[in-house]
Order: sequence, then structure tokens, then C-alpha cells
Amino acid sequence: MRDDEKQQSLLKDVRVIVFILAILGSIIFIHPWYTSDEGFTTNLNYGLDLEGGSWLQLKLQGAVAQLDADSGLLVKEIVNINLAEDITIASTDEGEDEVTVTFTSASVLTNNQMDQLGVGQTTISRSNNVTQVVLHSTKETLISTYLGDTLKTEVIPTLISDGVEYEIRTAITQEELEALMEKVGGSIVTDINGNPVYKEGVTTETRDLTKEILSDKLNSLGLKDIPVKTVGDDYILIDFAGVDLATAKNIAEKPGKFEIRIITQGNESKHVLYGDEIESVSIVGYQEDSGSWYVPFTLTDEGAQALQEIAIETGATQDPMSHNLVMYLDENEVYSAPLSYSAAAKLEQAPIYSWQASTGADEDSKTRAEELQIHLRAGALPVNVELMGSGHVDAALGQQFKTQAVIAGMIALLAVAFVVFRKYNKPAILIPMVSTSISEVIMILGFAAAIGWQLDLASIAGIIAAIGTGIDHLVIITDEVLYEGKLPPRKVYLSRITKAFGIIFAASATTIIAMSPLVIMGFGSLKGFAITTIVGVLIGILIARPVYGKVIHEVLAAGSEAEAE
Amino acid sequence: MKVGLTERLDSFVRKHDDRQLAALPLVLFVISLIILAITFASSGSPVKLGMDFEGGTMVSMASQESVTAIQQKYADYPITDVRQAGSRIIMQFGPMSDELQQELTTDVINSYDNVEINQVGPVYGASLQKQAVKAVIVSFIGMAIVVFLIFRTFVPSVAVVLSALSDIIIAAAFMNIVGIELSLGTVAALLMLIGYSVDSDILLTTRVLKRRGTPQENISNAMHTGVTMTTTTLAALVAMYVISTFSYVLSPSFSQITLLSNISIVLIFGLVADMMNTWMLNTSILRWHVTSVGTRRRKA
Repeated sequence: MRDDEKQQSLLKDVRVIVFILAILGSIIFIHPWYTSDEGFTTNLNYGLDLEGGSWLQLKLQGAVAQLDADSGLLVKEIVNINLAEDITIASTDEGEDEVTVTFTSASVLTNNQMDQLGVGQTTISRSNNVTQVVLHSTKETLISTYLGDTLKTEVIPTLISDGVEYEIRTAITQEELEALMEKVGGSIVTDINGNPVYKEGVTTETRDLTKEILSDKLNSLGLKDIPVKTVGDDYILIDFAGVDLATAKNIAEKPGKFEIRIITQGNESKHVLYGDEIESVSIVGYQEDSGSWYVPFTLTDEGAQALQEIAIETGATQDPMSHNLVMYLDENEVYSAPLSYSAAAKLEQAPIYSWQASTGADEDSKTRAEELQIHLRAGALPVNVELMGSGHVDAALGQQFKTQAVIAGMIALLAVAFVVFRKYNKPAILIPMVSTSISEVIMILGFAAAIGWQLDLASIAGIIAAIGTGIDHLVIITDEVLYEGKLPPRKVYLSRITKAFGIIFAASATTIIAMSPLVIMGFGSLKGFAITTIVGVLIGILIARPVYGKVIHEVLAAGSEAEAE
Repeated sequence: MKVGLTERLDSFVRKHDDRQLAALPLVLFVISLIILAITFASSGSPVKLGMDFEGGTMVSMASQESVTAIQQKYADYPITDVRQAGSRIIMQFGPMSDELQQELTTDVINSYDNVEINQVGPVYGASLQKQAVKAVIVSFIGMAIVVFLIFRTFVPSVAVVLSALSDIIIAAAFMNIVGIELSLGTVAALLMLIGYSVDSDILLTTRVLKRRGTPQENISNAMHTGVTMTTTTLAALVAMYVISTFSYVLSPSFSQITLLSNISIVLIFGLVADMMNTWMLNTSILRWHVTSVGTRRRKA
């Protein structure tokens, strides 16, 4: 009769109900299962160090800065780098949007050579053995071309609220950039506080593009479940479950095989060039007059000449419509379209360096253009990446770590139980204490399964650490309740349990505060440790430990009554 | 035996005055500071930085070959250390070029079983190092603020913070003495130590400040609970340390789990230091504070 009452009062308690629901929920989320073919399975996700596989951490190299320079000197350098010609600047006219630079040279300069520079429209005249060139361009084009040609990398200008920002897609220090700009009478623009606007790293768009290319590449290789994550602005982390490190590096670093062919007849086609003849690929643009999305790219000297030769040879310049230009990445067709009539006509005369691959007018075409941009790079990354860290664990070793971690956890629990038993010498205390501790572990695992977070070795360490703090707090509760070895009257008991929780909350608060920098600062492997510890502490103080306080009181009260009788 | 420890500690605390009680922990604290200073003077950092922060490559694999044979086999790489743990070989390399790295990785994966590789670039290591220093400082300050908010009295709060600081310093000095390098695992352990350390300090301070009865009675009471707490935690950690470090003695197929081994050994040492700091240093400051406040009140 009395027992029934006690059972009822315990089960009516909100905290006990929450506790029971949390445990049941956790077990459902963990979903432990046994089948004869698969053995023991759960819903838990394991990190690479327990599952086997490898990971790469890449840093994206680049710099973003605002720059200014003298247009004339820029043109002089660009011509010098590309054509090895020394020119004399006659006049420069820097307008609002456009700059016009007039220069002269003793050598003969052709339209074709000017086109190869790819900076703008030119008018060439020659008289008295002097060539005069009038070039219409923009400051952004000149600065990006100058830096791009000097550094052999892509430089992307972007219009931002307070000017133009240049993204340099290679590693360059502020000093090196300053020196390069000085050569063309320029400098890094300073902000209102007089600090140069320069930052190491890449833009968010470039980081995302790099991430996309990597995901795309992994997908095309059939590795669909390989997550590519960005960490901060400049890091990319790839977890290759079940792939060894050497293979992983190969996949991430090796560009695909890109090829352009021209249709000769029916399904027959002729090789024109490979991806290494593509000098650069720019960002997707929209052409107002023809109303279509396009990807601009430029070819090298050899590439442009090969395309001209073969286009004439196959007759594509005469009849573009029946000789499509087809692009392949790793043998898969990624683009097919005829030459434009204007391009075909122009090719009859001279090679074309700057090309545009148009995809169409609708939103879909925009996506196609963006995809094509990735393909044109042959899956090569837009920026240089530096390997910052990598790791590899054999699947068998991971399995072994898992077993060992479970053993470590069990033995830790047994060791704790032994110490507790020696101190209190009462199974009536030992059993609730150890059960509470186990229930906390189950709830941590349940939480992990529910949010699908990966358990790695560091998280296991966190769980074992949580067993440690958990028991500490249960000892505090027990000692407060067991005042001078016996159960105090109800009123005293209530004030003592409140005090015990005061201590526990204070101690938990400090643990959480001490661990939180690890979560925020995001050290790869230790985030798991910090998160498990914090979650463990929270589950402990909010769900498990209050119930222990209740249960231990009931158990001890029952015990002392039995003694009294 | 364990009960014996608490009783002995209790009578030790009763028999000695505050100054005597604080002497040993303070001396150890100063010695530890000197050890850290010497390490700092000789290497430029107070604790020896491991691969996580210096950059380099760690390779561990199953192999019965001798240490010297392995050393010769990989002499072309910047190999810095080879150790044997049960049926496994653990090699450490300094930073190397990407090509060399790739060659090493391929070679090891193709020739051995149960391979584990960890590689950290020197630049990344340096940035981790900055973050780690920041993490420890932020954690410590955060802890100190919480402690001050809880007690709202100066001397007892300082005692808790000082005792936690001493735990970390002694644990770090211990790492230098036995040659444990600072890794991500040991940084986590030092941070965790902050959490563990204040548990018993808060218990002690709360009991002494907020409970009726003589300070000495309250200290003895707190000690019974506190020592149990620390010993249970130590038991869990010793189990974790033994399993992660020496399990290959039980079964040759098991291997060391460096991360768990490092975390547990540093915590074990820190907690032993914490026993001393809580029950001698913190206790003496607190006892002195309570009695002197008591006398002042009586005078007024």
C-alpha cells in the first residue's frame, strides 16, 4: 500500500516524466538493433577516426584589395609583357567609366595583336614608320589585366559600394602587391582611417565556387556522400569516408580532361584543343543586345591558331550551322553549339583569342552558364589551394578504436562504481547513482543521433569526461541528502537539496563557460569534445540529476523505514 | 584506504595553521612557474609544442619491424621520431613538401595495415596556436567572472581562481617534465581542468560561507564530499588512460589512442594537483578570511 503511494508520487513528478520521455526518446533515436546478417547496428553517426577514411583541409590562396594606378603606365606594361614591345604613351584620358589611351610605337602593331591583349577596342593607324594606337578600355580591365599577366593568375574586379575590389587568385603579400602597383604609378587604396584596403584570402563567392567545383567533381566520380564544408572564409574541409588519403588528394588536386572538338560530319568530330590551351575563364555575364547568358574565356596563342585552322579546314567558317563546336569534360559532352556568324566570318581572317560560350536567355541558361564555367576550368579550382592538414585512418583501425572506446567507457564506469561503493557501502545508493550516470550517457548519445552529429574520438573523450562530472554532482547531492549519515527531516532535506543544486549549477556554469571557446573557435577535432561536454552537463543538470535527487530521497526513506520497523 | 586519505588530510589541515598549509602548494606553484619560464627561455613557448601546433606528420601503423629498421627505411624523409607501442610503430616527421608528403602517404598505405596518418601544415599549426592561447585565456577569464558572480566576495573568489590557475600551471609544468607535448588533446584537457578544478572549490567555498557551524567543521564536511568527487573522477580517468595507452598489453591487436591517452594523463595530473590546491591552498585562504572577518565583526 505504502509502496504504491510512493510509486505514484514519483511518477507524478514532472521531472521524472521528462526524464522517462527523454530516455525513451533517446533510445528511439539511437535505434539499437540486432540482425543476424548485419550484427549490432545503431543510428549513430561516427566520425572518420572511428569509421575509417581520410580528410583534407585546404586553404584558399588569394588576396582582395582596392587598387589604383596610372592608365598609361598600365597599358605600357601590358603591351610590354604580352608583346615584348616598348611603346610611348602619347596621351591618356581618364573618363568616368572609360579610359582612352593613345600610344605610339616604331614597330608594326596589328589589330590581331591588340585583340590578344584583350583589354578593349583599338584603332590603329600607321604613318612615317610610326604606329599610333588609340585604345578604349576601363581602369578595372587594365588593372586586372596587368596584375593577371604579371602574376599569371586571374584577377577579378568587382564593383562594391565604395569603389572596385580586386580579387587576386594567388598568394600575394601586401608588400609584393604594393611593389607591383608602384611600378605602374599606383598603390593600394587606403580607407578613411588611412589603412590600405587589403586582405589575405578570397571573396565569399570564390570560396563558394571552389566548394561547388569540388562537390561537382566528387559527384561526377560517383562519390555522392562526400561532404565539402567551408570553415571560415578561407578554409575548405573535405571528409572522404572510406577513401584513402592518397586517392583523396589525387581527386581533389587533379583537374579533369577538357577537350573541344568540331563536328565534321554527322557524329564524326575532329579534335581542336585540350583544356591546357584555355588561358582563362571569366565570370558568367549577360549580353543585353542578344539577350543571353554567356561564359567568356580566352585561348592561348596555340589554342587560338588551332581553332582557326581546324574551323577553316572542316568548313565550319563557311557553314557554321552544321559544324557544332562541342566541349567535353572527362569524355562527357558539356556544351554543343555552332559558331556565331560574326565569329565564323572573323575566323576566316585571323585567330580569335577571346571567346564567349552562350547558353540562352532564361534562368535555366544562367545555371547552365555557371556550370559551363566550372567545366571550362576542367574542374580545376579557381584559386590555388594549399594543403593545410590531412588525415587518414584505416577502416579496420577505426573499428578497433570504436571497440576500445566502448571498453574504456565501460571500465571507467566500473571504476567509478567501485569508488562509490567503497565510500557509501550501500547498493541502495550505488544502483541509482550508476543508473543515473548511464542514463546521462544514453541521453547524450540520443541527442547525437537526433541531430545527426558525428561521434569521433574527441566526442567519446567528452562523454567519459561527462561521466566524471556527472558522478561528482551525484556525490554532492548524496552527501547533502545524507546529512551526518542519515536522512534529515523533509524541510531540512528540501533546503539541502536546493543548496546542493546551487553548487551544481555554479560548477556547471563554469564548465560550460570554460568549454565554450572551443566550440566558437572551431578547432576541428576538439569541437566534438567541447560540444559533448557541454551537452552532457546540460542534460545532467536539467534532466537527470534532479530526478536522482528525488529517487535517492525515496530510496533512502524506504531504507530507513525498513530499518525502523 | 581511501577513507584513510580523507581522515589524514583532515587532521593535517586541522593541525597546521593557515600559513603552513599554504606553503607547500605555493612552493610547488612557484617551482612550476620556474619550469615553465625555463622552457619558455629555451624554446620560445612555455610548453613544448606538439605536431598540432608546429606542423608535421604523424604516421602510425601495424608493423613488427624494429625501430632502427624503420628509421633507415624512411631516412629520406624528415623523420624526427620513431616509437614502438605494442604491435604498432609510430613515426613523426617534420614539415615536408607536398610531393614528398604524397609519396610518403602512398608508400605507407600500400605497405602497411591499420594505418593512421595525421598531417598539419606549419601555417595552419601557427594559426591554431594563436587560437589555442586565446581559448585558454578566454576560458580562464570567463571562469573567473562566473566565480566572482557566484560568491560576490573578493577573497574567496580570488582563492578559487588562484587554485584553478595553480592546477593548470602545475599540470603544464608536469607536461614539460615527463615530455608530453601540447596538442589539441592536451589543450582540451587544460580547459577541462578549469571545469573540474572549480567543482570542489565551489563546494568548499559554499559550505564554509553559507553553512552554519565552525569553519573547521564545514571544511571537514566539504572534504569528505570533495575527496570522493575527485577520486571518482580520477578513477574514470585512470581507466580511460590505461585502456587508451596500454590496451595492447591485453590484446596485441589493440592500439594506442593518442588523443584519449593525452587528455586523460594531463587531467589525472591536474586533478592530483587540484586535491592539494583545494584542500591546502584554497582552504587556508578561506579559513584565514572567515576567521579574520569574524574577529573584525566582533571588534566592531
